[in-house]
Amino acid sequence: MTEGTAAANPKGLFRRDTKGESIAPITVRVERGRIQFFSQVLGEGDPLFTDVAAARAAGHPDLAAPPSFYMVLEALADDERRRRGEPVAAALIGCDFRYLLHGDEQYSYDGLIYAGDEVALSTRVVDFFDKKGGAMEFVVLESLVTHVDRGVLLRSKRTLLHRLG
Amino acid sequence: MTSPDPAIGTDLPELQYGPVSRATLALYAGASGDHNPIHIDLDFAKKSGLPDVFAQGMLSFGVLSRVVTQWAGGAQLREFGARFVSITQVHDLLTCTGKVIERFDQDGERRARIELIATAQDGRQTLLGQAVVALP
Repeated sequence: MTEGTAAANPKGLFRRDTKGESIAPITVRVERGRIQFFSQVLGEGDPLFTDVAAARAAGHPDLAAPPSFYMVLEALADDERRRRGEPVAAALIGCDFRYLLHGDEQYSYDGLIYAGDEVALSTRVVDFFDKKGGAMEFVVLESLVTHVDRGVLLRSKRTLLHRLG
Repeated sequence: MTSPDPAIGTDLPELQYGPVSRATLALYAGASGDHNPIHIDLDFAKKSGLPDVFAQGMLSFGVLSRVVTQWAGGAQLREFGARFVSITQVHDLLTCTGKVIERFDQDGERRARIELIATAQDGRQTLLGQAVVALP
């Protein structure tokens, strides 16, 4: 198989028929304590992420979410989807956690996400492709985090892969 | 604080993180909500054909972002991303570095593009990242 082909990989595990599918938006609440816990584990030093008084003194309404806090929002959204019996992206596309690796993660920020915000997350299955003669298969997912008044706050593009070798 | 006029080639202050322990992986799983057992359950890792659990890529990704936010301030970040080029193992000590590689204007702001690298103690590169910040 040539590199980058969209044809089916006989060893592939991803459900390639989900290409182009979207997962409906779901709203989650950003909790201050979760920002603090997440920031603590990463060793964040910027008071914008750790010190409510300092964040407010700098003109922010509350703590802001650190750059990679999208992971938390996504997990909260997935938890809520499971409670409702709705599909989550990993299950929809057929992720097998025994062989799954993270290839690439890209964010662009249109505005800060703050503790106390309610934000909507939506995800789209963009593409599947293969590399190394089918020994690795990839999926590309794009997501948006949107606030009802402030619009799109974050755009994410993620590449996951299965090692099939 | 960022210089309002950083030269291309300017090195950002580096930071170290770790060594990454199994406790770190458990805490990141709880803090992030990503409960993928490959990072926290040795039995699952062995059943998957691996000798041990390994670190969440997004743990290193979050640490790497700190190189930029501690230099420019979190509110200045416009883009951040990274490619996971090798697996971060338990006990790895990460050194995260950044360098200004481009200056440009966009959306009425003066911006800088930063190249970022996370490296383990044996010289193995684990993440190759880029960020864009708005300059003050």
